[in-house]
Amino acid sequence: MPGVILILSLSACNGIMGGMYDEPAAETENDYGFIKVDESANSGVVYINASEYTNWNFIDFHKKKIETVEIGEGMQEPVNWDIAVHRYDTKTNNGVVLETEFTDFGALKALGSIPDGAFVADIWTTDRIAVDMSGMMDGVILYTESYYNPELSKWLNVDTSTMPPIYTMSKKVYLVRLKDGTYAALRLSNFMNEASVKGYMTIEYMYPFEFEN
Amino acid sequence: MLCMLSVVETYAQRIVSGTVADTGNNPLAGAVVTVKELPAIGVSADGDGIYSITLPDNKKYTLQVSYIGYIPQIKVLEGKHSEPVDFFMVQDALNLNTVVVTGTRTPKLLKDAPIVTRVLTQNDIKKADATHIGDLLQSELPGIEFSYSMNQQTSLNMQGFGGNSVLFLVDGERLAGETLDNIDYSRLNMDNVGRVEIVKGAASSLYGSNAVGGVVNVISRDAKEPWSVNLNTRFGANNSRRYGVSVGVNQGIVQSMTNVQHTAVDAVNLQGDGDYSKIYGSKTWSVKERFVITPLEKLKITARAGYFFRERNSSEVSKERYRDFNGGLKGNYKFGANDLELSYSFDQYDKSDYQPLSRTDVRDYSNVQHTVRGIYNHEIGDNILTVGGDFMRDYLMSYQFTDGGSYTQYTTDAFAQFDWNPTKRFNIITGLRFDHFSEADVKHFSPKLGIMYKFNNCSLRGSYAGGFRAPTLKEMYMNFDMASIFMIYGNKNLKAESSHNFSLSAEYIKGRYNLTVTGFYNIVDNRITTAWNDDLKGMVYTNMANLKVYGVDANAVAKFPCGISARLSYAYTHEHIKKGEPLTSSTRPHTATARVEYGKNWKDYGFNLSLNGRFLSRVTTDVYTSTTSYEETERQTYPAYTIWKLSLSNRIWKGINLTLTVDNLFNYVPSYYYSNSPSTTGTTFMAGLSVNIEDFFK
Repeated sequence: MPGVILILSLSACNGIMGGMYDEPAAETENDYGFIKVDESANSGVVYINASEYTNWNFIDFHKKKIETVEIGEGMQEPVNWDIAVHRYDTKTNNGVVLETEFTDFGALKALGSIPDGAFVADIWTTDRIAVDMSGMMDGVILYTESYYNPELSKWLNVDTSTMPPIYTMSKKVYLVRLKDGTYAALRLSNFMNEASVKGYMTIEYMYPFEFEN
Repeated sequence: MLCMLSVVETYAQRIVSGTVADTGNNPLAGAVVTVKELPAIGVSADGDGIYSITLPDNKKYTLQVSYIGYIPQIKVLEGKHSEPVDFFMVQDALNLNTVVVTGTRTPKLLKDAPIVTRVLTQNDIKKADATHIGDLLQSELPGIEFSYSMNQQTSLNMQGFGGNSVLFLVDGERLAGETLDNIDYSRLNMDNVGRVEIVKGAASSLYGSNAVGGVVNVISRDAKEPWSVNLNTRFGANNSRRYGVSVGVNQGIVQSMTNVQHTAVDAVNLQGDGDYSKIYGSKTWSVKERFVITPLEKLKITARAGYFFRERNSSEVSKERYRDFNGGLKGNYKFGANDLELSYSFDQYDKSDYQPLSRTDVRDYSNVQHTVRGIYNHEIGDNILTVGGDFMRDYLMSYQFTDGGSYTQYTTDAFAQFDWNPTKRFNIITGLRFDHFSEADVKHFSPKLGIMYKFNNCSLRGSYAGGFRAPTLKEMYMNFDMASIFMIYGNKNLKAESSHNFSLSAEYIKGRYNLTVTGFYNIVDNRITTAWNDDLKGMVYTNMANLKVYGVDANAVAKFPCGISARLSYAYTHEHIKKGEPLTSSTRPHTATARVEYGKNWKDYGFNLSLNGRFLSRVTTDVYTSTTSYEETERQTYPAYTIWKLSLSNRIWKGINLTLTVDNLFNYVPSYYYSNSPSTTGTTFMAGLSVNIEDFFK
């Protein structure tokens, strides 16, 4: 009898127990964007595919829009955007960023006022935004010149001194003062998709972020 | 009528009893007494070594007695018999009466095996305190090195042969799944293992693909006691812990062995510089069940099932999970001196990534193997003809294929072997196997010729054996984007790796001494590796130029009656490749293992103090400075090291064993952690406890 059960249960040619795993949701373009919006709380979740080295993903919190633009000669930035993401790198549209000590929006809100600390503006870089990694094994990585926000980019630390690199998320809330003076609060909650492919960024946000006092 | 029959039977029954003791008249509790003619009958001796067995009638029967570490004995009982039948067992100091199967696929005593076989017995496994096969091989055999490949995956080097050139078997069945060309060694835990047999050199004439550099066969232990329950645990540094439960039943025609094991270890931060700074924490779960039924005297049916789970904390945001499901059914039928074995085996090895953030567990690799086999052994006088064949379906789904796709390959083979014993001193073994691989379109013949000649206290063995390894589905169809850095492409036009293995060995056995010296020479053609391809701007699987691997193994054992014993094993390996070709391995030329032990046993207490050492010489190799060109190299030297382990095992009372271990006794800490440095942080301590519940009742 045990033998019969054994043979029956093993009759699946391509294996058994497939049901114990989660199926990664087949991702389409429609899965990216402002995937969750709570208008009453001014909060939501943005999910973007930033896995391509050759793309900037521009996020507009005012209009809840995302636009992906390929990096190259004569790249046209969208007219309106607030922050942009390339892999794990970030930049702002003339904004400044502060890394808070808080790991959730509620605690920052409860503080009642802008926390102490210096807001950091973007810097111009020539060796940050990698667009071609194919020569990495020979020590040749191609970069594009670009603005880069070192403060917001602290949301994910990638330690490449060991192989494979060690990824550490800060889990902190970042306060961004946009060029129109409004504030957005951001927190990176994941940098992988369900299939564990890196470069898929899940960003929790509150916009406009208003202090109680 | 039924009543009458049972009465008649009762009248005819007889009870035979006696004592089992060693030559010093110390009782051997737990010695197993069986009847050759009646395989379903068996008892074990109690705490005073006394056994009692009931025979159904007054016919002639053969009593067999076995006890681990002792030479088995038989006594023929002629008809009516009323005196006690006592056995005085002689210690098998050198394990030469251990039965081995790997070299010929038929049972042979170690001393009569025509192919040089190294056996690690249950005692060796206990003394090495090994959790899995990797721990055991490393501590017992020279020329074995486990190091880290990319991302701390385990990689084997056995005297110049990598993980995919050494075939690992469990009770003769191959294992599904691999990571960077190595099977999951942690899957082969040592609980309920009876012995491990190692045959070095090619063995494709019996086992087909992958048996290029050697075969390691893990043999399960049968339940011998009427019932047994073992509980064991071990604690060590870095919160490493191991818990195991084994339950055995041996009642009439039914025998069952169930084993559950859990291990876990925390991450270890290394202090010094190195290629890596932290060893990942991990945990495993393993469940094994083996069920044997002997419905007829001539028929033995074995059913088995197993589950294995391993999780590695390779990053804060993602845990790698490895799972295996396996099962099998095997029937063995005896026709007089001949026997036929039919078997079906299933093995599925999965890999998935668990994301604590999204709580998803997504599978990205699954290798499923179904194997059907038939083997028939036919005795012709003192000679044995073996014929057999396998059919295997090999399914592989992998993240390394385009869009996580899958491929299937069918393997068919047939083999024959003739074991010819023209005189008592001579044994000649010849074999041939043909393998066909559907996807790789490989058709390969593997021959073997082995000769053994015995005189006085010596055995001389010489052999030629062919080995091969067919390109795998991975090597043919890979299409993998390596972190957007480069692509790795498979190659459908790969040729099979093939090898010619020549070996000569001399063994000297006298009383308590055994010395074996083996010289070997391997010619390996078309070894499969990856190389940079400028046209494709990526790595491509390709066949390497001809490579030669040669060396010497020496093994010396001495056991003294005072309780002291020693073993010294040494291996020399040299790899030779045409100048200008990439030599990717860094095999250490000189390696040795040593063990000195002292033990004594009394009725209620016994101990064994053992000192184990490993020595690995330094090795200098050329490392290519660039992945994409083989123009420039730089010299790289990996330092020599020795590691010693001192272990005190105490048998406290009945079935209670306490083992205390000091690992890395002389506090060796690498000044730089290379991928082939031992991942030790210095001297550590371990304590283990094992309890055999059934012994309380003896």
